[in-house]
Amino acid sequence: MSDGRLSPTAGNGQIVVSGLTKHYRNVRAVDNLSFTIEPGRVTGFLGPNGAGKTTTLRMLLNLVTPTAGAATISGIRYADLPDPIRHVGAVLEASSAHKGRTGINHLRVVCAAAGLPKQRADEALALVGLSPAAKRKFKGYSLGMKQRLGIAAAMLGDPKVLILDEPANGLDPEGIRWMRGFLKNLAAEGRTVLVSSHLLSEMQLLADDVVIIAAGKLVRQGRVDEVVGSMAHTTRIRVRTPQSDELVAALAEHDAKVEPGEGGVLLVSGVDAPTVGRAALAAKVELHELTTERPDLEGVFLELTAGKAAIR
Amino acid sequence: MTSLVRSELLKIRTTNTWWVFGLLALPLWGLTFLINYFQSQALLDPASVGVPESEQNAQFQAAGEHVNVAANLYTNGQFFGVLIVMLLGVIVVTNEFFHQTATTTFLTTPRRTSVVVAKLIAAAVLGVLFWVVTTGLNLILAPLILSSLDVGSQLDQGAIWQAIGLNGLAYLLWSVFGIGFGVLIRSQIGATVTALLTYLAGYIGAIIVLSILADRFGDWINNLQLIVPALASQLMATGTDLPGTPPRWAGAAVMVAYAVLTGTIGTLIVRKRDIS
Repeated sequence: MSDGRLSPTAGNGQIVVSGLTKHYRNVRAVDNLSFTIEPGRVTGFLGPNGAGKTTTLRMLLNLVTPTAGAATISGIRYADLPDPIRHVGAVLEASSAHKGRTGINHLRVVCAAAGLPKQRADEALALVGLSPAAKRKFKGYSLGMKQRLGIAAAMLGDPKVLILDEPANGLDPEGIRWMRGFLKNLAAEGRTVLVSSHLLSEMQLLADDVVIIAAGKLVRQGRVDEVVGSMAHTTRIRVRTPQSDELVAALAEHDAKVEPGEGGVLLVSGVDAPTVGRAALAAKVELHELTTERPDLEGVFLELTAGKAAIR
Repeated sequence: MTSLVRSELLKIRTTNTWWVFGLLALPLWGLTFLINYFQSQALLDPASVGVPESEQNAQFQAAGEHVNVAANLYTNGQFFGVLIVMLLGVIVVTNEFFHQTATTTFLTTPRRTSVVVAKLIAAAVLGVLFWVVTTGLNLILAPLILSSLDVGSQLDQGAIWQAIGLNGLAYLLWSVFGIGFGVLIRSQIGATVTALLTYLAGYIGAIIVLSILADRFGDWINNLQLIVPALASQLMATGTDLPGTPPRWAGAAVMVAYAVLTGTIGTLIVRKRDIS
């Protein structure tokens, strides 16, 4: 664009949150929070209910005024972006359209305000597969269609940065799979994708990086595999054998910790599966099952946020 | 700013609000026209409807002058018309919170002052549109009524056109008040009810209170009708300055002051408010 507006590819698309704080009357909803989100990756923004995820996103988007601290996108505060929706697309609430307005008109209103051509509304609707329902009123949309319309609105300006608050809410399995592919594609194109959610199994499939907060504070930030890997000490080996006592005795020599599980299963920690197998072989113990149980994002999340999720 | 105003007008056009309010306005306009027809008859020929000589004071006689009877007819519909444009103004703001579209609006335009100004302009455009339609209807029907009462159309009188113009200003200003109400009271129902009560109860209450006070403390009290917006805007639409009432320009000045005040307070509130 030659008129001095930020083109979609201008700016690095990095999101920097530094010292962000929001006090409501008695609650520190967000408490001196700092993190960085890189472009070209999908970042999961995780936290228990009431952790301050939505407040953080709203401060990032200039909808809520921070008590202290600042947040920038490509080095600029949202309010100072010359043409915000050409740079940042955001989906914050599922139901953010007038119930009596058609889907296409909802998008045209945004186009008019942003000075985008009217055709962008049709293009964005096609992008999310909602063209057949263009002239239906918003109140007739299913929850999944509402989410798609929200994403269409966010994509109107072909933004470099995408921010989504709980986008999987209300989507059916097919819709969730579509969303996963859609967001991964956007990240692969070099865009920044920040997604808040508490669907952890979905996040493990979708996100490259995670930012985990609890009680308004940062708990952990990093690549998903690193964060999960950091909890490797919680890995357990599941063993099923008809000779429990012999195996427990054999494993004792390897400093393994053995706990009884449900249905006669033994849960072994402190050693890896080959060690358990070799110990069993040496002791001539018959094994019926030998499985490594690695921690998943959900387990890690619960471990990291334990005791911090209290209602405040 | 042009694109923001276009967006605001598109918001109104793409819902059924405008034609529902239009349909509402039309029968109310007809009702007031009927009332004004009878009132014109009474003013032009008091004896025919049995108004005793003793009650025909100076103000009554002034109101009975042809030009003032005509002005009343050419500005017919103001009482409910401004009420409806005010409610439209209320809805233009409260819809954003009721339907949670405020987030999208302020994401698209983080400069909130611009959003409020665009809403003020869009509401004013609507107000003026309602004025154009009602004035058009009045210009067709009022000469017919006047000629049936053996009075000329009076359209050669400057006072008539002044009254029509000031009536338009009243429509514009009431739509601005509507925006102010909508900003001050975010709840759609709350804002609508408050605006309605302020207008109707303020109108009737002020008339009663002022006439009681005037009986007690003298006619100068009647000048206080200026500070009641509903009365001030009616004052603007009289043909000539009536004896015993404040001048029309004063009514207009007070209305403009109210509009500036509500517009400014509204903008300041929206700038500070957290949208969640």
